[in-house]
Amino acid sequence: MTTSVSAASAPSTAHSRGENRLGRIAFYIVCTALAALFLFPIVWTAISSVKPPPEASAVPPTFLPSRLDLGNFVKLNEYGRGVWNYVGNSAGTAVMTVIGATLLSTLAGYGFSRFQFRGKGLLFVMILMTLMIPFQSILIPLFLILTGLKLQNTLFGLALVYITFQLPFGVFIMRNSFDAVPREIEEAALLDGCSSLSMLYRVMLNIVRPGIITVGIYAFLNSWNEFLAALIFMTKETSFTLPILLTSVRSGYYGSIDWGALQAGLIVTIAPCILIFLLLQRYYISGLTGGATKG
Amino acid sequence: MSTVNLQISERRAQRAGGSIGRRSAGLFFVLPAVSFTVVFFILPLIFTVYMSLHDWPLLGDHKFIGLDNYSALLSDRQFWNSLWFTTRYTLLITPVIFILAFVLALLVSLPLPGVGIYRTVYFLPVVIGLGSSSLLWVWLLHDRVGVINAILTGLGVMDRPIIWLADSSYAMTAIIMSVVWKTVGFTMILLMTGMQAIPAELYEAAKVDGANYWARLRYIMMPLLRRTFALALILSVIGSYLGFDQFFIMTAGGPQNSTISVVYWIYKNSFTNFKLGYGASLSIVLLVILVILSVIQLRLLRDETSY
Amino acid sequence: MKKGALLFVVLLMLVASGVSVMTAQDAVTLQMWSRDSNQDFLRELVDMWNADHPNQIELTIIPAADFVTRVGVASAGGEAPDLLPIDLIYVPQFAQAGNLVEIGAFIDALPYADQLSASHVHLGEYDGGRYAVPFAAEGSVLLYNKGLFEAAGLDPEAPPTTWEGIYEAAKAITALGDDNYGFYFSGACAGCNAFTFLPLIWASGGDVLTEDGLSATVDTPEVRAALEFYKRMWDEGLIPPSAQADTGTDFFGAFTTGKIGMVGSGAFSIAILKNDHPDIDFGLTFLPGQEGGISSFAGGDSIAITSSSQHAAEAFEFISWVLSDEIQLQMFAARGQLPLRADLVDNEFSREDPRLITNAEAMNLGKTPYSFVYNQLFNDANGPWLAMIQTAIFQGDVDGAIANGQAGFAAILGE
Repeated sequence: MTTSVSAASAPSTAHSRGENRLGRIAFYIVCTALAALFLFPIVWTAISSVKPPPEASAVPPTFLPSRLDLGNFVKLNEYGRGVWNYVGNSAGTAVMTVIGATLLSTLAGYGFSRFQFRGKGLLFVMILMTLMIPFQSILIPLFLILTGLKLQNTLFGLALVYITFQLPFGVFIMRNSFDAVPREIEEAALLDGCSSLSMLYRVMLNIVRPGIITVGIYAFLNSWNEFLAALIFMTKETSFTLPILLTSVRSGYYGSIDWGALQAGLIVTIAPCILIFLLLQRYYISGLTGGATKG
Repeated sequence: MSTVNLQISERRAQRAGGSIGRRSAGLFFVLPAVSFTVVFFILPLIFTVYMSLHDWPLLGDHKFIGLDNYSALLSDRQFWNSLWFTTRYTLLITPVIFILAFVLALLVSLPLPGVGIYRTVYFLPVVIGLGSSSLLWVWLLHDRVGVINAILTGLGVMDRPIIWLADSSYAMTAIIMSVVWKTVGFTMILLMTGMQAIPAELYEAAKVDGANYWARLRYIMMPLLRRTFALALILSVIGSYLGFDQFFIMTAGGPQNSTISVVYWIYKNSFTNFKLGYGASLSIVLLVILVILSVIQLRLLRDETSY
Repeated sequence: MKKGALLFVVLLMLVASGVSVMTAQDAVTLQMWSRDSNQDFLRELVDMWNADHPNQIELTIIPAADFVTRVGVASAGGEAPDLLPIDLIYVPQFAQAGNLVEIGAFIDALPYADQLSASHVHLGEYDGGRYAVPFAAEGSVLLYNKGLFEAAGLDPEAPPTTWEGIYEAAKAITALGDDNYGFYFSGACAGCNAFTFLPLIWASGGDVLTEDGLSATVDTPEVRAALEFYKRMWDEGLIPPSAQADTGTDFFGAFTTGKIGMVGSGAFSIAILKNDHPDIDFGLTFLPGQEGGISSFAGGDSIAITSSSQHAAEAFEFISWVLSDEIQLQMFAARGQLPLRADLVDNEFSREDPRLITNAEAMNLGKTPYSFVYNQLFNDANGPWLAMIQTAIFQGDVDGAIANGQAGFAAILGE
């Protein structure tokens, strides 16, 4: 359903058809210039990261690398426990967060969309309120709770916290996704004798898939990029995540930053996010269409 | 296009007709999410309220002091400065994000070949974490190794590098620039999806009535975008009010303490000054402010939705 | 405590006599956290210990900016590590809060107890107890570029001994042009300037705190003179403009470009300059007072055992190993680190490079402010110390800077 509301409806917002070629050329010039501005920081980081290390921190900066050189990545790998340790932890936490956040958001979205029960509005608002507290202010209580659950210093414990902080966005998107599903589909399934759960599983999931993927991408990005909780809740270096490595590189040795290693670190951090987004963006945008536009 | 109409009428029907399924089933579905929220948000929140009633150092023992932290914050000049700074930051960045996002959304909704690529490109920075993007901009803006100064001096726009993050007249601009770059794509996509959900028939009808592009924009799209707008606005305002990474990483509150946001001040009180109890009271006040702001925004934008 | 000391002495004797301690006693794993400066050295040190001791140490390096946050939260949850090397200025605060184990008896058992770096020992004292011993030593000194001195017609073997001397030298070097500047300091870094600017005040006979660290003495002629000294160099363009923005990331890096005449720095610079920048011929001298006199900020890390540790005796075993002759010479001195004991300052390695001896002397005569709120006073990027320096030097308002500085210090000290 939601996917059918695609770019096809956009024409109506456009200039009337067949408007002058000049406008069209202007459109491309403006859009391309903007695109260059948006892309520049990322592309520039990528280019700089493969410069030989002395060039990567040259004053003033040089433009193109004199030759391709992975020296900056090698130096990045010399920080702490080596870059794979951090990538592995970040990936593991992100996977758990994605699974947990999509599962919980889908169930809750379905519940909030399709059922009436006491306290429904209150519970919904309670979940949304999670958005409004600065994470910094509940660090200590969260740490105490994780310690109480014996989950401090585990990626699993960290993922539980991340999942919770994905719920406001996730539940909101999923509730609206389910809202957009025509009721006839369910009624037909009910007549066929489906229970609520199996109907959710067999009938609805396909329809709300764009929403689920949106929630998943979002959970991935936020988990992958989070720094403070990862640092505070993990006791051991072997469980540190990528953003912590990045901060170490930034604080440098005795106040001299290795800019080359920082660029390499940024690329390692950013690349998976871009890749995942490019692969799934089709769903992502339609997921928002179904999820975000209805209050 | 009819699918959209269908959806809308469906939802009306649903609201009128109540729900199917048993009452307990609904609770069953929302229970996991609710329990996570209770354990990892509500309990810590209650604990934070409890802490805010204590003199609670980061190291060592705490003692109950009633509402003293709250009365102390009334006379804490830096807190009010931070609140004002954060408000100013929000007031500056929100229009920039919304105007730019709206223009971009209009552009990427045009039915022209290749427009999907532009949409992707404008959205791309959103996938980068705020921490990483702040680090990236620290480097781009650096006075010696940074490329921005190199380009600007190279083009002859200025004759010596600007030290962006240390000059109070540029620091805010630099931070806003980096945050807009990183977040505007998100608002753009929200607005764009909102635009696409507007039934094409409405535009067609207006066109028949002789409304030009701008008139259709003003009288059809804008009113119907209200809800999307409300959502995007609330998300953006909350994000700005909770801003921390960009200040922590890019300026560390400088120069001359001109960029200390509320959350940064909370962080400093808790972890630099070791006054956890006081930090907790600031957090509670901030939470209350945000709830009020969100309610106001919803009210303002929701009341006259129906056309 | 006594039992622990006894056990420790026994262990020490066992180690000394070459008998393996791998006995019936179960080996334990000790946790140790450290901030990330100097992490390569630390990793090597810990690896070396782990290679031939049954008790293993697990080292976790934490970004410096978040170190105290990390430790504080962990302490709140009773999850602090056994071994805690911390910036020595934090020790009074940690000790006061009851987070550290009193280790006086352990220290007394060390044959070289009276040789330990005096500043570290002093900062480790709280309420009659002793809570920490030195772990890394630093002393601030004045680095200068001999090549630039020569080019500017100055005697590279006669570095400045007064502020006027620094000013004149800076002026001559800046006059060389070609982006050379006479002087550098990190204008937006609070801690850096405690390290390199405070000693200028001390060497002139002034201070910003009273001896007991409980009252502010910011509004004094020495502080004013020191601020005016920097302001004069800034106003006359003897300091590169980028100094204003430097939050510490270029604290040492600026000098390595070879275009800076003088900069306040520490012993760590010696090894880095020798290894990575062999082309820079540098000298090292004491930070002087206005009309002469010398001083230094004795900094570095102290190591303590946290009260949540179940293995205080085993933890101290590591500490005494670090302080032993062998490690002090083979690991510390051989790598250009300052030894932690006065009796080892003069050693085969430092004899090869007199600059190391100068630096060690600087540290040994240096001071460290003793305060329970050091972090708020000096290290806070938004605190009164940095605000005072910035207002005086970059905005030119020395009077206002001092008035606000005095008030800010007094407020934090609860005066």
